Amino acid sequence: MNHPTRWLVQILAYGAFLAPVAYLSHQPVMRLLGENQAMIRIAFSHAGEPISECRQRTQAELDELPPNMRRPTECPRERVPLVLVMRLDGDTLFEASLPPSGFWRDGQTTVSREFEVPAGTHQVEIRMRDSRRESGFDYQLARTIDIRPHDNIVIGFDPNQGGFNFSGSQP
Amino acid sequence: MLKSLFDLLETPFNRAFGPRDNPFHHLGALTIFFFWIVLVTGIWVFIFFDTSVFGAYQSVEYLTREQWYLGGVMRSLHRYASDAAVITLGLHLLREFAHRRFQGPRWYSWITGVPLVWLVFPLGITGYWLVWDQLAQYVAISTAQLMDAVPIFTDSMVRNFLTESALSDRFFTLMAFLHLVGLPIFLVFGIWVHVMRLSGPDINPPKSLMIGGTTALVVLSLFHPATSQGPAILSRVPAEIGLDWFYLHAFALLELIPPGAVWLALISVTVALSAVPWILRRKTSPAIARVDLDNCNGCRRCADDCPFNAISMLPRSDGKPFDLEAVVDPDACVSCGICVGACPTATPFRRHSRLSPGIDLPDRSMVSLRQALDAATARYPGAIVTFACDTAGAGPDAPDAPHIPVPCLADVPPPFVDYAIHRRGAAGVFLLGCANGACRFRLGLQWTEARMRRERDPMLRGRVDLARVGFSWQDGDSAETAYQRLRERLGRAADRDREAAE
Repeated sequence: MNHPTRWLVQILAYGAFLAPVAYLSHQPVMRLLGENQAMIRIAFSHAGEPISECRQRTQAELDELPPNMRRPTECPRERVPLVLVMRLDGDTLFEASLPPSGFWRDGQTTVSREFEVPAGTHQVEIRMRDSRRESGFDYQLARTIDIRPHDNIVIGFDPNQGGFNFSGSQP
Repeated sequence: MLKSLFDLLETPFNRAFGPRDNPFHHLGALTIFFFWIVLVTGIWVFIFFDTSVFGAYQSVEYLTREQWYLGGVMRSLHRYASDAAVITLGLHLLREFAHRRFQGPRWYSWITGVPLVWLVFPLGITGYWLVWDQLAQYVAISTAQLMDAVPIFTDSMVRNFLTESALSDRFFTLMAFLHLVGLPIFLVFGIWVHVMRLSGPDINPPKSLMIGGTTALVVLSLFHPATSQGPAILSRVPAEIGLDWFYLHAFALLELIPPGAVWLALISVTVALSAVPWILRRKTSPAIARVDLDNCNGCRRCADDCPFNAISMLPRSDGKPFDLEAVVDPDACVSCGICVGACPTATPFRRHSRLSPGIDLPDRSMVSLRQALDAATARYPGAIVTFACDTAGAGPDAPDAPHIPVPCLADVPPPFVDYAIHRRGAAGVFLLGCANGACRFRLGLQWTEARMRRERDPMLRGRVDLARVGFSWQDGDSAETAYQRLRERLGRAADRDREAAE
């Protein structure tokens, strides 16, 4: 291979190497939402009630325990799963029983879900049961919101602030 | 099949760049070099970077727009060199796999390379995060979703990136620390561990490739500068994202499968890669080099030439009047025979004593090599003798020329070339190495050429005319062309001798 040809092939080789760098560093684009779509996300962590009531230990049980572990009550570590229902304009968008985290099922339940919805005015309703009862809900919130295209509506939860909250919405 | 594909790809590169500068022969070193560019440009970018929620995007925009002639180019180089490193890293991994450089003692370099892949991607991901544009917003949320799927975390990480109020400046400080200090330190340490069993590891590519690679990246940065994708606004979802597919491809998977399945896919690939040396191991391994202390004078040439640091020079154990003796590490020896080729006692001229070098391969001894050479030159008197390494293939189509296989060309001590020409009457010696000049045992061709050109011990004797020795890997030509050149040289020399005689 003579010198000019070698140079030419080298330039072509560098070009061939850079072409994927130039293109794949930002292309092809990924479409996250449709033109008239928006996103509703549920994102929070919350621990349900213990799976059962604490019970009093008998004197015989206490005597069997080492002195430093003689607590009069015995409480279960395991938590109940959270039952979560979300409805949009009367239709159920999400309904699930979400288990607590941890090997002993004694941690918080982490909820992270996202739903693509059309922009516009919607009635959003969310309910949650975190107790041992078999039916009904402990927390709920219903709100009519005006969602613009590409809005990111986040539904959070804070029991100290009264339960569910919305952010990024247009009430 | 993959190896044939690489051989096919490398041939034109060999001709254009030459075997020494063929980028395919320096993929690991090129990856490290691109990371040097990333480091230097990263320092410049960091000088102007503001580690706060509201300042991060603005500071990067300032570099890109106001200081485009330097900061913008630096930023683009930072990104493109990172992407280029992923390409060379991927090719390096594939090529090593194709050449089965994970077998035997080379499992170590393979297995220590796997964590490096795991370190490179978080390094890129944290870098994209710091820009805090719409892509960063997407990366932050997607990463958090992935982390939330790991059962060891009890709180939701994704909540930190869904509202402006949840985001803290300190988080950017943490990310900057990870991107600039934490991960790079682990990466440098990982590279050191990766190459520590190699002798003279190739960590710097040839100058021509450094200059060419840097120039190419600068040209790309000038004509196609890297830009941000609009500031992150957490109350909005970007409609579309220009993804860097080199680093962020796993996030695209999140759009198709749940985070747990993405983890499963990543872990499966990692486990499969890590298991390669054991799944595809050789059924039988060739016997390792054996030291014969009666003939070893502790000269340490074998230790100096071993590409895998498999030979140590230890204090003499047999009472002979030498300081050191060679000791072979069975876990590191790949049976290439390069040490045998370096041994000054491996000379075929001995007739009165047994040919027993200080170090030898039991399965492919110097005695058997001399027997093969004697037989070949007896059958084809005055022909060109070809020494061919095991992976060289059939070589030039020359039915009238003997072809002697060796594990590696550097297993052939230079006195054998002298012996073939001056004692056995061979017209010349053709050294047929691995395809495209890429030695299977790393340094075999380099040492062979240096020994024959009398630049490295043991050297070819001065009485051997180098015009009578041909190398298959020179000038990027094919083995056939190199062989024909040797024939032509020998023909011209014969004509000159004839004319002189007349």
